[in-house]
Amino acid sequence: MDDKLEKGKALPWFGVPALAPYMKPYAAKICLMVFLGVLSSLIDSIYPLFNKYILNNNIANKTLDTLPIVIILYIGILAFQTWDNYYTMRICSSMELWMDRDLRNKAFDHLQTLSFSYFNQNNVGYVHARVMSDTGKIGELVSWRFMDIVWNLSYIVCIFVVMYVTNVKLALYATIFIPVAAFIILILQKKLVVYNRRMRELNSRITGDFNEAITGVRSIKVLAAEEKMMESFGKDTKDMYRASVKTAHQSAFLNSSVTFLSGLILAVVLMSGGKLTIEGVLEIGTLSVFLSYALGILEPIQNIINSISALITIQVNIERLMNLLNTKSDVADSPEIIEKYGDTFNPKKENWEDLHGDVEFEDVSFKYPDGDELVLENFSLKVPQGDSVAIVGETGAGKSTLVNLVCRFFEPTKGRVLIDGRDARERSQLWLHSHLGYVLQTPHLFTGTVRENLKYGKPEASDDEIWQALKLVKGDVVVNKMDNGLDSDVGEGGGMLSTGERQLLSFARAILADPELLVLDEATSSVDTVTERAIQEAIKVVTKGRTSFMIAHRLSTIIDADIILAVKDGKIVERGNHRELMDKKGYYYELVKKQNAESF
Amino acid sequence: MNNVGKNRKTLLLYFLRGSKRYFIISVIFAMLVSVLDLINPKIISFAVDCVLSKKKQKVPEFAVNLLSEINEKFIVSEGDAYYFNSEYFGSRLYLIAGLIATVAFFAVLCRYFFKQFNARGEGKLVQRMRNLLYEHIIHLPVSWHNANQTGDIIQRSTSDVETIRNFVAEQLTNLIRVVVLIILSVIFMAGINVPLTFVAIILVPVIILYSLFFHNKIAASFQKVDTMEGRLSAMVQENLTGVRVVRAFGREAYEKKRFEQSNEKYMNTWIHLMKLLSAFWATSDFVSGLQVLLIASFGAVFCVKGTLSPGDYIAFISYNAMLTWPVRMLGRVISDMSKAGISIDRIRYIMNSKVEEDAENALKGDDAPMNQDIVFDNVSFEFDRVEKNAEGEAVVVSVKKHDEQAEVLKNVSFTIPAGKTVGILGGTGSGKSTLVHLLDRLFDLTEDEGKITIGGKDIRGINRKWLRENIGIVLQEPYLFSGTLAENIAITQKEQKMDRVKAAAKIASLDEAVEKFGKGYETYVGERGVTLSGGQKQRTAIAQTVIRNTPIMIFDDSLSAVDAETDVKIRKALEEKAKGTTTIIIAHRISTLMNADKIIVLENGRVAEEGTHDELLQKKGIYNKVFNLQHAV
Repeated sequence: MDDKLEKGKALPWFGVPALAPYMKPYAAKICLMVFLGVLSSLIDSIYPLFNKYILNNNIANKTLDTLPIVIILYIGILAFQTWDNYYTMRICSSMELWMDRDLRNKAFDHLQTLSFSYFNQNNVGYVHARVMSDTGKIGELVSWRFMDIVWNLSYIVCIFVVMYVTNVKLALYATIFIPVAAFIILILQKKLVVYNRRMRELNSRITGDFNEAITGVRSIKVLAAEEKMMESFGKDTKDMYRASVKTAHQSAFLNSSVTFLSGLILAVVLMSGGKLTIEGVLEIGTLSVFLSYALGILEPIQNIINSISALITIQVNIERLMNLLNTKSDVADSPEIIEKYGDTFNPKKENWEDLHGDVEFEDVSFKYPDGDELVLENFSLKVPQGDSVAIVGETGAGKSTLVNLVCRFFEPTKGRVLIDGRDARERSQLWLHSHLGYVLQTPHLFTGTVRENLKYGKPEASDDEIWQALKLVKGDVVVNKMDNGLDSDVGEGGGMLSTGERQLLSFARAILADPELLVLDEATSSVDTVTERAIQEAIKVVTKGRTSFMIAHRLSTIIDADIILAVKDGKIVERGNHRELMDKKGYYYELVKKQNAESF
Repeated sequence: MNNVGKNRKTLLLYFLRGSKRYFIISVIFAMLVSVLDLINPKIISFAVDCVLSKKKQKVPEFAVNLLSEINEKFIVSEGDAYYFNSEYFGSRLYLIAGLIATVAFFAVLCRYFFKQFNARGEGKLVQRMRNLLYEHIIHLPVSWHNANQTGDIIQRSTSDVETIRNFVAEQLTNLIRVVVLIILSVIFMAGINVPLTFVAIILVPVIILYSLFFHNKIAASFQKVDTMEGRLSAMVQENLTGVRVVRAFGREAYEKKRFEQSNEKYMNTWIHLMKLLSAFWATSDFVSGLQVLLIASFGAVFCVKGTLSPGDYIAFISYNAMLTWPVRMLGRVISDMSKAGISIDRIRYIMNSKVEEDAENALKGDDAPMNQDIVFDNVSFEFDRVEKNAEGEAVVVSVKKHDEQAEVLKNVSFTIPAGKTVGILGGTGSGKSTLVHLLDRLFDLTEDEGKITIGGKDIRGINRKWLRENIGIVLQEPYLFSGTLAENIAITQKEQKMDRVKAAAKIASLDEAVEKFGKGYETYVGERGVTLSGGQKQRTAIAQTVIRNTPIMIFDDSLSAVDAETDVKIRKALEEKAKGTTTIIIAHRISTLMNADKIIVLENGRVAEEGTHDELLQKKGIYNKVFNLQHAV
């Protein structure tokens, strides 16, 4: 699935230009970073010259006269370089962290504005990795990796300048090896990149295995599938072992080749330089400089190639993050609307109208963004303020569609949804959502206390109000059973509570927010009948004076609804109140009969 | 296996079984690398002094015979003493170059073997650790899993394993390597010039101590950013899983503010840490630079005085360059090692947790036939209370105290006759699921909590595997494994027979839904596959259980997410298929239960009513009330 997203979207230049807008604020810092880095590499490349001077002048001439000057100069340069290194590292690390922060904020904020279809199509793990790990990798790329390339390039240039200035012939000997080495490293490294990718894949598969074993442990036990699971896990770890040995071979081979080449360069320089020394053309000190350069010359080349392969690897992450940041929401407010009502993060509440609660579907057709069939066709319905609408039908018949449209989680493909007589698109999403109470079939609670969860829709709510809301939905019983009342932890995703209990709390949460529009999507499917009946009474109280939409399996829960819509195969086949539909003896009647009496 | 987690050392040694020898061999190669690396500067020094500067250099006595054997021209004798023939070598520099290349070649070869053996040891170690952990985790009881957070256990199984791998394969071998390197280079250097050796190593302890001190100091900060990152990551996770709630309540701005604040704090902590690190690296660079200066200055003085040759001067500079980096890393390695200790403890927590274990003589096979009456005999049950210790690990703090409040089940007694169907009705939290979890021994009753028997045999004496293989439970919240639909349905089967998979899917009314997926039964599901609806998941789980053909079948509210019509269809199909199967059905819907041979109504952990549908309606109790509520249409 992941690969499908990226196919055919290869960005030019490894995707680096796409990062330019995000790097722009730091342009001056980057320039400074490059300047300081180049300076530091320059200093590094001239250190061997001190040895050369000492060997050629002090030792060869047996005099210590100039030594103090050399020492002072050396300390001076060393001190300067220490300062330089300190600053380079600080700017570099800050650069990494600034980019991290900026990209993470951008990604997170952007996610807050994306429509549900994005979240339906991308699973949580995938999106999470974009926000948390891609950003980190890109941060590292534009700071340390970039600096690495700059530093090593300038170091090589400096070394060669010094070598050619010192002795052209010897410098030439060292030069011949460079293309050979670069070629070998390039080829071996290419394979290593492939192996490393395989390792990462296997690693995430193993993490996935652990995740599966832990979250699915109950299923594994009741299915007595322990051995089968261990067998398949054992296969994965064995694959991992093989892959890691193979990768280690490749990387050791690469390193060994480079080290051996360095040895060869050393030997050649010694041989040819030694001859020149015996002939008296070359001084011992100069030869020693060449020997140090010869030993160190391949390291920067290896580093550069290393950084380039990292860049190739990170390319995928850049693409993925950019895809996320460039994803346009299917449901977006127009600039004019944002101008008047404010955007998701900066609402202009002073311009907001009250929401009265009339809802109307006007000739609405709808198709899900990832589907190709119309699930609604030319549907019209008027729901006056205060009415309750119930939607019934078989599993998978598309009952949530209407609700999604009312909440503007999706927008009609054709036609309009009117709120208080005006197209929903004429007001901001936030305006609508701020007047909405929504209880889901799979209720979600956040890690934290009961109180924090209930206050989510109304942060200023007092404990009294919270208890009131809880009592209304019989949630007070649940909270009283917990150790610390409102301060009890609900656990990861509400995991310490049963599904039914979570439904009750999320119902209370919705009611506490005192919404004008109430949407109950199978809000009580996991609650027992007696409690549900009690909630039913509460719903009557709560929906009084509010426009409400309810989806339910159990028909007993919706008979009081003002409008009942029966949905079959994604189409609304009947509408009317309970009495009317029963008299009609159509689909709804069938449903009721089946549920009531099928077993007699 | 019981004592492996006694202390850090025993556990580490237990993990190291099978990989230890690779590490030992790799360390031997690492030592060879050090020796060979140290030889080359010596050759260069010889080349510079004896060959290029034509300084007389004595041949060590042991080598005289050997060298003259190879080629008598290597040596010239002057009186008693033997000297290297500098003229000869001078005109044949390729000999020296060849020697350097040969030494380099062997060094490289050893380096390669060092890495290979290290990688093998590392691979074996990680494989063993992961396999053992995995095995242990899936055999830990459900109560343990309930008490521990998923993310935390995964972190222990991944990052902590990684830390230990790092410790053994990199830090430990590195430590040995560096110590050997230091000792050997001191020996080599001392062989050339003792006073300069003192100069060369005088700053080594300073650098190691400085590095050690620094890394110890910032270890806490590292831990702090780790925790902060974990929190930030959890925040994203929550926001994504709760996206519908965030939107429906219009709380995007709040989420944004909260995230950006944490993000900023996280960044600032890192920036502070990086400032310290930059200072450390820059200053230790400075100290290393001073070390070079010391050698160069004293070397120059000794050379001018005549106690040191230029070649040896160059050799010293090379030795120093070889030592600088490893010595600086040493402090870090030592300080990082403390992290490994914590990681071993964190893994020890898992390995020391008690797994489900059956006694040798636990009943199975014909000794414990499963197509028999199931009897709950005065069963009371209470969950263990757990609290978190400072490390966030779950600790059982109080043994069961048998009070009204804490007990989930209270004196529950009833019989499920073999081959019959029993329905269970009860309110939210009335203990229905616990009842069947106890039957499958996901939890065990203690001695004084009554007993559950099958065919008169206490299930605590029955082998768990045998028991679970014969009881098919469809859980209330079923789990899909990543794999194809067919693989999921056939997960308990030795072989995946498509006709059986299809038959099971048909009974579970899943067949039509499967047809609609593009790839049918080969559709990939689970975390990385298509998302199934609640009803589809439940039906997959039903198919998964149906295919097992167990003598006992349990449906724990397994039909709540499907509509009434599908519910009927599934039950009809099951009735035909599963004749003679003992069946337990838990449901809220009366229509799902009413045909059962017996219905048990649970209220607050007690059996409130028991009887057939008609009997219960007569009683005018809870069952009757629920029936009326549901059929008030």
